[in-house]
Amino acid sequence: MKQTEFISKKLRTAGILIIAGLVVEILSLVWNHPLSFVAFIGIGGLLLAAGILLYLWALVSPGSRSGEGGAKSSGG
Amino acid sequence: MPTAFVLVLLGITVALIAVIVARPEITAGKAGKILAFLALFIFPVFGGVLGAQNHIQRSEETSFCLSCHIMGDYGKSLMVDDPRYIPAAHYQNGRVPRDEACYTCHTDYTLYSGFAKAKLRGLHHVWVQYFGKPEHPIKLYSPYNNRECLHCHLGSRSFEEGAIHTADPQTMADIKSNKLSCVSSGCHDMVHNVSQLDHVKYWKPAQ
Repeated sequence: MKQTEFISKKLRTAGILIIAGLVVEILSLVWNHPLSFVAFIGIGGLLLAAGILLYLWALVSPGSRSGEGGAKSSGG
Repeated sequence: MPTAFVLVLLGITVALIAVIVARPEITAGKAGKILAFLALFIFPVFGGVLGAQNHIQRSEETSFCLSCHIMGDYGKSLMVDDPRYIPAAHYQNGRVPRDEACYTCHTDYTLYSGFAKAKLRGLHHVWVQYFGKPEHPIKLYSPYNNRECLHCHLGSRSFEEGAIHTADPQTMADIKSNKLSCVSSGCHDMVHNVSQLDHVKYWKPAQ
């Protein structure tokens, strides 16, 4: 239960960060302005990278691994 | 890649992620895990790469270059009604694509000349545009390279057989090796000439 909560929380946060990054990227693509590329990379890219890294971290972090290991050992 | 396609892809990604954010428990199963991997990793990375490519492509457009206030006079110089103005003659006669006129003759400008140094220059331009005081007139970082002209003119009859170009065998060799500049050697030296824009006539294209 604890592991599910851990993953869910991380997925939610990662998802929100990625959505924010994608929204910034969408807005920058429809904004014809010299700053649009800076916004795309500087804000959208950073939010996207943070969200993706958080998601990848959630996949390999000890919290998710211990749960997975526990599930395997209990299954075996 | 068309902007509309990138926007649709990004929109679909947002929708998929919204489902996961609303119901993260669906990722417990195998299908949910695959969906999460696609929505939280593959699609955002793919969309981000396509978006960056789209931005770079857009930055090659004349309208993008002229969206900076300081470039206004350079855009105006493309409409000068005087064939001695090299950029105007090229723009008005379709010798360069009108929607990519700046980039066609300045292929080595900031973003396109290298990696780190070019990006820093680009950021410096943004900084100067909003927080600094741009220099008037603006100057190229390095002397204009004949390569930009030879990209199209090399091999063309008017260039290869031009009376002045062939008057002395050394002249042609010097032009091709960039020792003798096309634009600053007293030959084709009427370029943007923005300081004189108040004293020239302008071409008005027929609608």
